[in-house]
Amino acid sequence: MVAPPDNDVLWARALHYSYDDGSPGLSGVSLGVQEGEILAVVGPRGSGKTALLRCLSGLTPAGGGEVWFNSVPVHTMGAQARDRLRRDRFAWIGPTPSLVPELNVWENTALPLMLRGSGRRQAKTAALEWLERLDVGDAARKRPYQLVRAERQRVSIARALAPAPQVLFADEPTAPLHRADRTQVLRTLTAAARSHGITVVLTGHDPECSAFADRTIALLDGRRVNTVHLPPVPETEGRAACSLSA
Amino acid sequence: MLALRLTRGARPAVQLRRLLVTAASAGTGFLLLCALGYALSHPDSPGDATARLAWCLPPLAATVHLAVAVARTDPGTRPRPGLAAVGLGPARLMLVSATTTALSCVLGSMLALLVFLHLRGDLTGMPFDGAAEEALAAGTPLPVPGSLTLLALVPLIASATVAFVLRPQGLGPAPDGGTGRSYGRFGARVREAVRGTPGTGQEPASAPGTVAVEAPAAGAAPDTLPALPEPSPAPKGLPWGVAVLAAGLAVETYAAGASDDGGPALPAALPAGPTGVLVGWLLTAVGLALAAPGLTHLCGLLLQAVRPGALRLLAGRGLMAEAARIGRPLGVVCAVASAAYAMTPLPEPGSFGPLTALGAAVVTGCAVATLLTAAVEARQDRAGTTAALQRLGAPASALRAAAALRAGALLAVFGPLTLVVAELAALPLAR
Repeated sequence: MVAPPDNDVLWARALHYSYDDGSPGLSGVSLGVQEGEILAVVGPRGSGKTALLRCLSGLTPAGGGEVWFNSVPVHTMGAQARDRLRRDRFAWIGPTPSLVPELNVWENTALPLMLRGSGRRQAKTAALEWLERLDVGDAARKRPYQLVRAERQRVSIARALAPAPQVLFADEPTAPLHRADRTQVLRTLTAAARSHGITVVLTGHDPECSAFADRTIALLDGRRVNTVHLPPVPETEGRAACSLSA
Repeated sequence: MLALRLTRGARPAVQLRRLLVTAASAGTGFLLLCALGYALSHPDSPGDATARLAWCLPPLAATVHLAVAVARTDPGTRPRPGLAAVGLGPARLMLVSATTTALSCVLGSMLALLVFLHLRGDLTGMPFDGAAEEALAAGTPLPVPGSLTLLALVPLIASATVAFVLRPQGLGPAPDGGTGRSYGRFGARVREAVRGTPGTGQEPASAPGTVAVEAPAAGAAPDTLPALPEPSPAPKGLPWGVAVLAAGLAVETYAAGASDDGGPALPAALPAGPTGVLVGWLLTAVGLALAAPGLTHLCGLLLQAVRPGALRLLAGRGLMAEAARIGRPLGVVCAVASAAYAMTPLPEPGSFGPLTALGAAVVTGCAVATLLTAAVEARQDRAGTTAALQRLGAPASALRAAAALRAGALLAVFGPLTLVVAELAALPLAR
């Protein structure tokens, strides 16, 4: 077992992962994330970005390889310990904002804080501050169904940032949005994370998200690649063969 | 065929729920056939026979209630992308679930017929052959059309109700009509139009460390994914329910003092009181069922009332959201429980006939099973929320505590209510 470098807050070596049905997810991905860094993981759909994030955050145990968080091995932890680690240190933003529909916006944002045992007034103040920063302060008393999608996504970003996590995992946070909303959501997310020194691991399949990141790594078919050399897309395949006149 | 395939592939819990429907249907079918048998053996007293038939109505209603609840939770007949892609939309799936319900009920009816024939002595070779020959008119041949009609009653009513309840909504031609759902969409559309007007397309460049200014996308995003469903409004039946409940209690109390007019024939051990008492009981039961959703909502409201923490917030809001779904069966269970409580101090404990006991068992079992099924439905519906909460880091113990708090609050409100209603309803019996 090789000890990870000291300056990396999150460090993975030779991660392997395959889905329950046996289809391959990751085959040997190694990476290190430094403290306060914003790392973008880009790649097309099905290249294993989500699987990588799930393995790094301890949501699913990796099939092989090592994950270290602050010099603590995550890959040997039990389910309970990983749960606690996720609750106390990590935050997660999914492609669709999964807000609790019965609670209004500020209650949704304050919920992680209240679940960690902080008082109601304190949690409310923090939640309102974050909502204000992310430009959804006006909607603090609305229910999630009354918001448009970009606002909902910003609320879920506020919810993820409010308990001040050490690492924030954002799995395609802009997937269901249009370009204008997408830029804005990414910009707010990265700006807030930078100003609070929160490490961010971000995925996306357009080069746009790497513009907001300090460093970009590319995944293709579950492997880390530096330059993608794919064969050029041929002419529409089989057309000449089907044509009778050719 | 598809209904059969979908039925076969289900999980044990689902099959158990379907078996409950079958059992309830069998019980009701047997009661109906027994009414027919009584009519056959007592051709000179049509009044009594009609009364017996009428007393089959509560089990029938309970069975249909259960069948609808089970059909609503059936995962096999839920709209699924895979089936929608091959052309089985919600409309076809409604037919599939109606067929599934009919299947369970027909199975129950066949069972009832078998037992009935067996007890009559028409089928031999098993123990208890013809154990109840004289009660079930063994001498006279069974009229085929009559028994078929009675046996078809439960499957027909149950599947028709299921088809009506699960009818696809929002497929009709009037999107801007008066229904709540289309109004919600309309409202959402208005809001988006208002939002997208000023300052569009400008994307202010913000330096790192500052927060970007909001740049709403004008008319940008037409919804492709389904939006969050609008929460169901608070149930409005509470005043009506309380009024009907009070009226029922008043009617039965007054009627108890009135002169005994013979009244309708009551099954087995119930003292034949004035008609007014029966009407009062019916009104009381209806009032309980009407008031229960509102009461459940009120429970949730009180739970999350004053400066709630995470636990009370989750429990109370969850209860408020599920009030309509949980409240109705809960009210029915309360009505049944209060009836059972009112019956217990009757003079002779052994005076319940087997048919009355069967009817009571069907009604009670159906009410309880419906409540449990509704709870399962609520849990299925909130599975996404629960998963989101767990990903958020909510410990499983907190979620369990919220569920326990919900159940405790409901028990604390509905337990005493049931007892009070039962005491008041038992007053006329005590005289």
